[in-house]
Formats: sequence, structure tokens, C-alpha cells
Amino acid sequence: MKPVLLIAINFAREQRWPILTLLLWVLLLAFLGLVTDIHRQRDDLLFVFKQDAIYVLAFSVFFGGSAIYNERRSRRILAVLSKAVGRQQYLSGLVLGVTLACAVYCFALGMTGSWTVGAAGFPILHVWFLMVCLLGACALAGTVALMFSTFLNPFFAAGATAMVLGLPALAGQFLGPQWGYVIPVWQLGATVVNSSFESPGTASWFPIALAGVETLAFWLLSARIFAYVDIAVAVE
Amino acid sequence: MRLVLEFDNVTKEYRSFASKRRLRALDGFSLTVEAGEIFGFLGPNGAGKSTAIHLAMGFMRPTSGSGRLLGERFGHPGTRRRVGFLAESVALYHRRAERLVRFYGALNGMSGTHLEERARQVLEIVGLQDHANRNAGKFSRGMLQRVGLAQAMVNDPELLILDEPTSALDPLARVMVRELLLGARNAGKTVFLSSHLLSEVELVCDRVAVLHRGKLARMGRTADLLQSGEQSEIVVRSIAPTHFAGAVVRDGVVSFNVPAHTQRIALEKVWHLGGEVVSVNPLRRSLEEIFLEVTADPQSAASKGVQ
Repeated sequence: MKPVLLIAINFAREQRWPILTLLLWVLLLAFLGLVTDIHRQRDDLLFVFKQDAIYVLAFSVFFGGSAIYNERRSRRILAVLSKAVGRQQYLSGLVLGVTLACAVYCFALGMTGSWTVGAAGFPILHVWFLMVCLLGACALAGTVALMFSTFLNPFFAAGATAMVLGLPALAGQFLGPQWGYVIPVWQLGATVVNSSFESPGTASWFPIALAGVETLAFWLLSARIFAYVDIAVAVE
Repeated sequence: MRLVLEFDNVTKEYRSFASKRRLRALDGFSLTVEAGEIFGFLGPNGAGKSTAIHLAMGFMRPTSGSGRLLGERFGHPGTRRRVGFLAESVALYHRRAERLVRFYGALNGMSGTHLEERARQVLEIVGLQDHANRNAGKFSRGMLQRVGLAQAMVNDPELLILDEPTSALDPLARVMVRELLLGARNAGKTVFLSSHLLSEVELVCDRVAVLHRGKLARMGRTADLLQSGEQSEIVVRSIAPTHFAGAVVRDGVVSFNVPAHTQRIALEKVWHLGGEVVSVNPLRRSLEEIFLEVTADPQSAASKGVQ
């Protein structure tokens, strides 16, 4: 477990600049909270809050899809995998690292959201529920992207991830809402996006639990694939 | 003798997904490295040296054949706890040197004061004790290579696998690495050294192997390879140099080279002429000569001959 934690923390540390850049949007929400009339412009604040929430979902795909590629391109993967670290442990570290990076963002957004939209009348407990939804969606989206990145370059991995995450949503539109739960990233994102002051939404834990289970399944699948992949690096 | 590294008829092909083209990097490659020796692994660029090392470390899987590292099949994570590895063109995370070494030590299951002490110790060995708190991202290539060596040694490995460890180092640092390798051998450890610096290899390696186009072209004890059995140098005095072809007079003695199989005849001729034999030495060749001989491209040599 220790190597997994070390790799996860190291990954989050290596992503500190993208995370800090992303946190600027949270800072924008905080700034709006300071300078606007929270009660009169509460819908605008909620819009920015939702927008910030969706950004991290896109970033989780970016984090997951580029993690292995970046480590290979920089050749840093060699020093890590030359230690007593199994491929499965390495991949677990990356999954945890992606989740950790997103968790930092979700926590910051949750804190700022509690202060801004919470002060405007949105139930604070529901703000945190939405952050859990978001984190579940990020963990699943990041793991799917990571799975594709074990054998595709980041560009194609992101495209393949978008298809896998988007198809159930599309099926949900045409074949019935239950299809949206096949891979519940869209469903969890919709929970955040559709919430409003009038109707914050119901706290359903089912899609979150499903996202957790599917994250585990995709992690196992990616570990299986990664075990057979050659770690080819550029030779100087 | 215990074997620490074995390649058994290993072939590795790289396949291009788009063009279906295959590149054979290793072709039926077999090699054994014994415990307690410094083994030099030579070959021109693209010979397959790094591929062989990456297979041993479990970064890749052979297309066919198999191999064992410290008695376990290639790719066994637990075995790597007993191995220190330095990759060619070392790439490490940008953080303080001591923290970096501790990070890699912790990945090998080390912890606590033992890890802290060992990290300080290896940084001192590679001469970076004064830079332990500097960010490795700001290091020169030579310093980075030293940190790479430190991370490879932090777990006090039984086997050191070093891919071009001295490529970016200055002469002083090369001496340091040479002493480090000899020290490791004296401590009973094994070193598998891939290098282009043939003079370094010649100085420290007990055995060498030359890889060419994915195949083992030559292997043997360094001393045996360097000692050419083909020519002998005979130094004599009290005879005129005109008696032997190519003889030169230097410091009052006459020296000349003869094919080894005619050495006895030459000596008898010296005695017959009333000369005195000062010395007879088999001629030593440099590793560079052997390397060039082994890796000479017969096709290009032939085409040069035609031109």
C-alpha cells in the first residue's frame, strides 16, 4: 500500500500547476462572492459554481489520459518501475493520484460553494453531496481515461473516453433513463448541473456507489492490460 | 558460481502498429552474469543493449525466450528490491536531492531513520552531500547522473544494473564511479555495466560481452580478450636489427613483432646469431580494437573495398 500512496501523492504533486491553474476558477467564484450582492445575484453564482464543477470533470480525463504518456515521455517511469513496484501498484497509484488531485479541487470548490451559494440559500449539506457526486464522476472518468491511455496516446485516449462516457448518456436520452446509469458519469454530472435554488435535487447515493464499483472494475481492467504493455521509452 | 542474471535465447521484436513492420532488437540472445563480478556490456548504438536491460528489469516482455534476474523470472517486482538500476539519460522528479533519494528508497520498502541515514550516505558517496537540499530539477546533467546513481544504490542492492553511468560525468566523477564499482565488487556485489567508454570498461570489468545487431558477437574474460594470441613482441640485444623485418632499435635494444606460431623459430634465430633475449610478450590489444573488429559491418567493408 505504501508505494501506491507514494505514487499517488507524487502524481498529485507533479500536477500542482494544472491544479493551481484550475483553482483560479474557484478563486473567481470566491471573488464574485466578495464583490457581488450574494442574494440578488445568486443564480449567477450558482452558474459559476456549476461551471467550475464541470471543469474538474474535463480535467480528470486530461489527468488520467496523459499520466502514463507523460511519465513515459519524460522517462521518469523507468526509475519508479525499477523499484519493487508492481504494474498494478503503479496503476493504482495513478488512479488514486488522479482522484486525489480532483479531491483537492472538489474540497476547495465545496468550501467556496458553501460560503457563496450556501450563503445565498442553497443547502450547504447538498453542496457537499454534489461534491461527492463530482468526485465519484471524476474518479470514474479519470480511470476510464487511464485505461485507454495504457494502449493509446492521450489524444485518442481522451476521444475514446468521451465516447465511453457519452454513449450511455445518449442511450439514456433515446432508450430510457436507466441507460444513463450504465456508466454514471453523465448522470452524476447532471445531478450537479440540474440543481437549483428552487430544486437542489434529491440525494441519491446509488449512482455514486455505482461509480465507485465501476472505478474498481475499470482499474482492474486497466491493470490487466498494463501488465502486458511494454514500457517503451524514447532512446536518446 | 551463482548466476544473478540469465538471458536464455531471448528474442525481442518491436512491431509498428501502423505499418506492420517488425524490428528485431534482440535475436536469440543468451548471456549469464555471475555473482560478484563486474560485467561489461558493450555494443554500438542500436545493438539492443538497452532493450536487453529493459527486459531484465521487466519493463518489457520478450517476444520469445526467457530470463531470470536473481533467480526469479524477469518482471518479478519483489526481486527488484535487491536490484539498483540507473537508466541511460537519467530522468528524475524535480525535488530536493535528498527527498528524491528517499522517495525511491521508500518505493523499495525502506523507511524511518535507516532510509534517512542511507540517503545521506549515498549522496555523500556520489559527492552530492553539499547539494542534498537543492532541487534536482536545477542540476546539471552530470549532477543528475550522480543523483541517479544515489537512487540506484539507496537500497544497498546485490546487483547494480547501470546503463551508461558515466556518459555525462567529468573525469573526476568517472574516477569516483570507477572506485564505486570496484568497491561494490569488493563488497561481494555484482555490477552489470553498459557503457560506450571502453577504456573505463577495460579498467574495471572482469568479463565483457559485445552485442551487435541483437546478437552476442563476443564474450569472455577481459584479460583473455585483451591478450592477443596472434602476435608476440620480442625484445633482444646484441644483434643487428637488419636480421628481422620491421625491427626497431630503441634505448639500445632491438624489438620486433612476430606471429605467435613463429615465435620459437625467431627466438632460435636470435640465439643462433648470439643475441640475448630481453623479453617476450604476447601483444595486448585494446578493447576498442576488439570492439571495432567485432562490430565492423562486413557489407560496408566490402563496398569500401570495391570503391
